[in-house]
Amino acid sequence: MKSLLRALVGIFPEAFSDRFGAEMIAQLELDFDRARRRGRLSAVEFALSSGLNLITSGLTERRNPTWVGFRRPAPKGTTMLSQWITDLRHAARALSRRPGFTLMAVGTLALALGANAGMFGVVNTVLLDPLPYGQPNRLVNISGTAPGSDLPEEFGVAPEFYLEYHEHSRQLKDVAIYNSFTSTLRVGDRVERIRMSAPTNSLYSTLGAQPALGRLPVAADESHVVVISDELWRTWFGSDPSVVGRTYGISGESREVIGVMGPDFRFPNDGTLLWISGDVRPEEITPGRFGTRLVGRMAAGATPETVANELTTLARRLPERFGGSPSYAKLIQQHHAIVRPLLDEMLGSAAKSLWVLLGAVAFVLLIACANITNLFMVRAEGRRRDLAIRRAVGASRSQLIRLQLAESLLVAALAGALAILLAALALPIFLRAAPARIPRLDEVHLDGATILFTLVAALLSGLACGLIPALRASMASHVAQLRDGGRGATPGRHWLRDGLVVGQTALALLLLIGSGLLVRSFQALRQVDPGYDTQDVFTFQFAPEQEQLKDGPSWARFHLEFLKRLAAVPGVTSVGLVENVPLNEGTSDDRFRNEAMASDPDAGIPLNYTFTAGDYFRTMGIKLLQGRPFDTADQLSTPGNVVVSRTAAKLMWPGKNPIGRRLQARDETTWYTVVGVVEDVMQDGFRDTPQALVYLPLVGPTPTSWDISSPAYVIKTARAEVIAPEIRELVRAAAPEAPMYRIFTMAGLAKDSMAQLSFTMLTLGVLSTLALILGAIGLYGVLSYAVAERTREIGVRLALGATVANVRRMVVAQGARVVGLGLVLGLVAALASSRIVASLLFSVAAFDPATFGGMSALMAGVGLLACFLPAQRASSVDPVESLRNG
Amino acid sequence: MSNLEYHVLLALANGQLHGYAIKDAVESESEGTLAPHAGSLYRVLARLMTAGLVGEAYPADEPTPHPGLSRRYYELTAAGRKALALEARRLLAAATVAEKRLGLFRGRS
Repeated sequence: MKSLLRALVGIFPEAFSDRFGAEMIAQLELDFDRARRRGRLSAVEFALSSGLNLITSGLTERRNPTWVGFRRPAPKGTTMLSQWITDLRHAARALSRRPGFTLMAVGTLALALGANAGMFGVVNTVLLDPLPYGQPNRLVNISGTAPGSDLPEEFGVAPEFYLEYHEHSRQLKDVAIYNSFTSTLRVGDRVERIRMSAPTNSLYSTLGAQPALGRLPVAADESHVVVISDELWRTWFGSDPSVVGRTYGISGESREVIGVMGPDFRFPNDGTLLWISGDVRPEEITPGRFGTRLVGRMAAGATPETVANELTTLARRLPERFGGSPSYAKLIQQHHAIVRPLLDEMLGSAAKSLWVLLGAVAFVLLIACANITNLFMVRAEGRRRDLAIRRAVGASRSQLIRLQLAESLLVAALAGALAILLAALALPIFLRAAPARIPRLDEVHLDGATILFTLVAALLSGLACGLIPALRASMASHVAQLRDGGRGATPGRHWLRDGLVVGQTALALLLLIGSGLLVRSFQALRQVDPGYDTQDVFTFQFAPEQEQLKDGPSWARFHLEFLKRLAAVPGVTSVGLVENVPLNEGTSDDRFRNEAMASDPDAGIPLNYTFTAGDYFRTMGIKLLQGRPFDTADQLSTPGNVVVSRTAAKLMWPGKNPIGRRLQARDETTWYTVVGVVEDVMQDGFRDTPQALVYLPLVGPTPTSWDISSPAYVIKTARAEVIAPEIRELVRAAAPEAPMYRIFTMAGLAKDSMAQLSFTMLTLGVLSTLALILGAIGLYGVLSYAVAERTREIGVRLALGATVANVRRMVVAQGARVVGLGLVLGLVAALASSRIVASLLFSVAAFDPATFGGMSALMAGVGLLACFLPAQRASSVDPVESLRNG
Repeated sequence: MSNLEYHVLLALANGQLHGYAIKDAVESESEGTLAPHAGSLYRVLARLMTAGLVGEAYPADEPTPHPGLSRRYYELTAAGRKALALEARRLLAAATVAEKRLGLFRGRS
């Protein structure tokens, strides 16, 4: 009550409240007592009306002073700046006298600010400014959905959609098809498989990109020219401008380099090194070739919703214009366009992870600030007598506040500088641990924006940490301080410090629960059985280009021969070959008919397919459930035999024995016979549902069914990590012209596929540990101070017969109250924020009781540990000593 | 001069008073129409002091209290006494005019 009144009186100018404050408070208290005697209602009425009166007259007094007082104005020539400089000098001296305090405060704050600087640098580059194109928020990704059809929930549309959109959309300013694939680039003797793209020429205008050198492709170029990336230009051509106009072997054709893009142009992903020209011509359209990716630029005023509505309507006209089967027409009726900001599409779940991590570092900063605020508050308590004397001899309140703020600002400035240094050192390490799939991560560095952010954050932290203690200390009644010798400490003063510890505990628990959930997800993900064994498997690809390799069987013979050579390498247990190795490449899909569907040209069940040869299933540890795997005869002769996955068998022939049954790809005439059934595999990652997969033999019954340009070899060997050089020798001997690429161990691929989760988990783990430690330090500090402050009281209690256990219990109880409240708040916050982390989790509920309970117990345990030392100290108080000194 | 200012001067015309006593006097002498809150009262007091109409008093019979916790006493200065007298005369004159008019009014009806 008294402190509230004092705060209200503080609204008046200093001179006024100095002269009349005490009297006003006395009158208010008397009036309030009278009002209370008249009843509760009039007490409330009085409190409200006099509070309002204090506020309005205080503010009026500020605007329109009636009292100037007699304090001498600041001597002439002392500017605000010079006063601050004096105060900062004082503060520096005071801080250097207390190196322990200073080190603790600066270190804590620097650590938290450094983490924030690093995370801000990443977020600023990757999330806030990731698309170096004009008006990036107008760029959208376009796909489709067709509920009720057998297409996936979301699918890439077909080229005819692009034509229709490109010609008729008003909501889209421009639109382009793009893709991404690897193929060979041949420059002189150097041959490599590199990532490239064959977009429509409208890509450049859609993105608003211009070449740094040369020109952009036009329709007349057909598909005979390329523009290359800045990276390729530097690494392959030594930044030689004369590369423009030269012709190289690119993806099986001679193409001319006509331009070099700037270093910012990296579409659709970081590793894309060149772009082949091309366009879609209406006369070449076969409707229904789904799987095309589209990027569009919205016109001014358009939103993703309006674009989606317009595109959905435009697509309805496609069957009329391009024809197609009845099932195509039906699908178009079900089709709806999906339009999403390109940024979301490119970042995927990485964005969520980064935002969560940014939130986490901000929490750590808050916790650190709470600790430092507590440190300053304890320090201010210790200096109350000193402040009271300064006040008595004429220092104004604002001078005292400035003096205290100078210290915290100095601490913050030191911490900010240290934080920038820390971030500069730690950022490269952090980025190396980050998953490679996050775009533009290699561009992250400590730039001006990050440094500015850090300094502003430091300034704000300094103010936040210093302002409350400074205000409180300067408000304390100085006369009372002088009288009781600065010893008096009212319990009311503790609520703020306790509140800070409650907040810290809550935030720390929130972070702990978050990282606990991620750890559980990671464990679950590691225990997933993907259907294959990732241990001791080495995989690579190479694409021979030789004269005699002209038809399916000759290719098959080449690969089968090479498989034999690989099998002969010492230490190799088995070898196999597959078109798309799991975790590295996706499989193709098509519709397959069983015998019952033979008569219906539109029928078919969508299945994925891939080609395989050698001992693939045994090498990968894929379980054979029924029948037999391929043998060499299957690879080279008719009739075509296939192996299907368990889910594929179930889809095609539910409840029946699939062995000996036949299936046919929709657009083909060949019937394949099922000879074996194998376990499902997770092709794209451990979060996937297993795919329905058809394994075709390397060479089917006809040369036209052959479809392998560059298969992936898999080798089971205990020497998977070190076998690459020997294999390279074999490849060089068999196909000197072919580069070896996509060289991995399956264990490495598995690790990569979990990289994002493990990265988020590790970072959040480090942050939450930091939060836990800081929270414990905060609690320890508050309790230690409380014990020191109450030494005399404890002495009296002991003298009056309290046992040591009583005293210890008293201290622990104080800590337990604070921690308990913090835990409750933390749990509530964790429940409230569970929706944010839910999408990052895997097979763990966002409310996982084990994690919530375990982490609460951990926090409580650490909290009690932090209580233990102060409790110990309290119980060792010597009553005689404490009473004599007190 | 505002009503409250007038009443504060009026209260102090009776002798030296401390703040709360001023408030009580104002309340009773205005027959309850004025019950100043602390904020308003002390702003008026400050204004009167700045204008030199009220000064701080140090009564001889009151023991010197603790500094800071003191009841401070206030008294009229000579200027304050003059200002009060002027205002009282003005009010009286104004009231007389009003009385007459109202009486006239009453007589006509």
